[in-house]
Amino acid sequence: MSAISIQSVSKRFPNGCEALMGINAEIQPGSFTVVLGPSGAGKSTLLRVLNGLEASTDGSVRIGGETLGKGNLRKLRASVAMVFQQFNLVDRLSVVTNVLTGRLAHRSWVGSLFYLFRTEDMEVARQALARVGLTDKAWSRADKLSGGQQQRVGIARALAQRPKVILADEPVASLDPVASEEIMALLREIRDRDGITVVVNLHQVDLARRFADRIIGMNGGRVVFDGTPAELSPQALRTIYQREGMEHDNSLDLALAYA
Amino acid sequence: MNIHDLKSARPPQLSLPPKPRNPMPVWVATTLVTLWLIVWDLDISFEALVYGVADMGEYFSRYGQPDFSDLSRYLELMGITLATALWGTAFALLVAFFLAPLAARNFAPNPVAYRVAREILNFMRAMPDLLLALIFVAALGLGPLPGALALGVHTAGFLGKFFAESLERVDQGVCEGVAATGANFPQRVMYAGWPSILREALGYTLYILDRNVRMASVLGLVGAGGIGLALHDTLRLFDYGQSAALILVILATILIIDYASAWLRGRLG
Amino acid sequence: MTTVSIWRWPTPSGLPPLPLVGGALALLGALWLTAPVVEVDFVRLLGALGRMVAFAGQMFVTPDWHYVPQLLAKMLETIEMTVLGTAIAIVVSLPLGLLAAGNATPHPLVYRITRDLLSLMRALPELVWALVFVSAVGLGPLPGVMALAFVTVGFMGKFFAEAIEVVDHKAVEGVRAHGAGWLQVRLFAMLPQALPDFVGTVMYILDHNLRAATILGLVGAGGIGYDLVMSMRLFQYDRLLLIALAIYLVVTLLDRLSDRLRSRIIHGARA
Repeated sequence: MSAISIQSVSKRFPNGCEALMGINAEIQPGSFTVVLGPSGAGKSTLLRVLNGLEASTDGSVRIGGETLGKGNLRKLRASVAMVFQQFNLVDRLSVVTNVLTGRLAHRSWVGSLFYLFRTEDMEVARQALARVGLTDKAWSRADKLSGGQQQRVGIARALAQRPKVILADEPVASLDPVASEEIMALLREIRDRDGITVVVNLHQVDLARRFADRIIGMNGGRVVFDGTPAELSPQALRTIYQREGMEHDNSLDLALAYA
Repeated sequence: MNIHDLKSARPPQLSLPPKPRNPMPVWVATTLVTLWLIVWDLDISFEALVYGVADMGEYFSRYGQPDFSDLSRYLELMGITLATALWGTAFALLVAFFLAPLAARNFAPNPVAYRVAREILNFMRAMPDLLLALIFVAALGLGPLPGALALGVHTAGFLGKFFAESLERVDQGVCEGVAATGANFPQRVMYAGWPSILREALGYTLYILDRNVRMASVLGLVGAGGIGLALHDTLRLFDYGQSAALILVILATILIIDYASAWLRGRLG
Repeated sequence: MTTVSIWRWPTPSGLPPLPLVGGALALLGALWLTAPVVEVDFVRLLGALGRMVAFAGQMFVTPDWHYVPQLLAKMLETIEMTVLGTAIAIVVSLPLGLLAAGNATPHPLVYRITRDLLSLMRALPELVWALVFVSAVGLGPLPGVMALAFVTVGFMGKFFAEAIEVVDHKAVEGVRAHGAGWLQVRLFAMLPQALPDFVGTVMYILDHNLRAATILGLVGAGGIGYDLVMSMRLFQYDRLLLIALAIYLVVTLLDRLSDRLRSRIIHGARA
């Protein structure tokens, strides 16, 4: 059974913009999938639909065999963690508390009202922070950290959920190359050691080639490529990154050559 | 009129484009006429005003000798007034804490809850606190409790609105970050909402406390206890010395609270 | 070994942070200490709940339609008092605002004195001043308008001063560089920049003054307040219902209007 099954998912925004047009894909458990494509291809929308942050207008998403709907949204979100481009941490809370938000779905709201957590949740958070190598920053405020560190807190929050799947929406787009490398390696290591299914949105071709088992290329709300990094030929790249009326443009080849 | 008329009407020399019509004089004239109509309709006689102002000097001089012989009682009354304001603010805070997240579009669990919460807050804000105090005095009897309740209900509307507006300004990404973990409504509010607006919320609460102290000092006029009742009585009895003393006590307290809350807000901000 | 699940806070010690606990304890302590003063009594509150319901029930009577013309007249008077009081306050507080703004005041001493004067004027609620003015000039809307204007000057002068203090310094320098005089700098460089803020403030204050005006009648200073108190004292619920409804409607209308206007001004300034 696939970890995520996407069946003819379409998304049309109220302003008429068609972000996704009949996406079909099966994502295998324990795989590392990179969704590749230019900005505006619908990558972010796809990931947000998988986590239920956006509702699809058509088609269905099944997570571990269960169809995502209004009723089981929170339950499924608990097993599908999300990592964001802008980290989306709560600035004023400490790093530990941010990581502990990953445990919220497993706890009732009564304790949450008083910021009370169980000792075992604390242990989960400590382990997650150790995994991302930020134990020493545990008590700092989240907004005092660098971008790379904040993204690692974001990943620790995702790990604290003990998820089956981690969705990472452009996790390195706001980071410098060194930090980007670290974050991608961390995600890959999480896949290798914990067997968590990872789906990452990227627009950097080289990172996709080096870290992915499988690459899904998107353009204009459709899947235009689906295969292994080895199969990602220059021809395939051109299909992914082409813009309308730009078929014979040299700049595309040039850009791809240096990608 | 045909196109020829228009052409002949146009002056031959080059000129600046027509000056944009400035509606300012019209507005000023309308305002002045309206104000004059109001003065006329309210039957405000300037004679009375002039006589009043002429007498005012003499009138205010009667307040010249504040009579502090009963100071300890005044201070006690002022204490009751402060306590009333404190309880009113605490009540408002409690109500706003629960209603504001429902009245913030980005946190509200569904549109119906949002609409209902907004309307409740609007209603509480629209009811003047003295009117509420009158109603609560009728239901609870005389004393500071109806006053505290009235202040609480009225300012809960304000605090709730202020909080909701702050919550709506919380970064959408932060809300999504917490929501994406599977957190439910109260958890989203407690982790993405309140921590992000804590400072603003404290500022608003201090502002409301400040306001409630002012209002609590007049609630006595409708039988809701505190120093206002004493002032009402002494003014009715034309006891200018005691009235002056009471006004000074109120004034001093309000100024102290004013400075204290300005200082606290400065430290928070 | 069995793990006993213990609750803890996300702090190094597992205990809640001290300043927070201190603050909460201080607040609760203050409330607990003052509870007897305010006569907080939950039994009494619960008992009163019945009376509140009964009271609310009494409100549902056939409204006294014969009262409507008088109600409209009184509401009009209330609105007129609000507008007039606010208008007078605007005229008076503009110059005072200039004197009380750190960057426009002619002398630091003038600044200090004006600031203190303004904070004295707004210290006491309208109703207290209305009481005083009624004693001075007699019953009617006049003392009400005076009280409204008096307190409003205190608030508006302060708001205006703050709006002037945050105007862009460069534009002021520019006008001054062209040889503008003391008053010209203030009229042509400072006031236009502070204007959007002014309008927002005026709407806010109009809102506040309308609420205040509805209760000034309580002490004989005109408006709907007198009828309100009398119908309450005389248990004329058929009138009280209409009055409460009218106040609610007018206040809500103005509230919405000022919300819309303020957001338009803010967005207009941004664009």
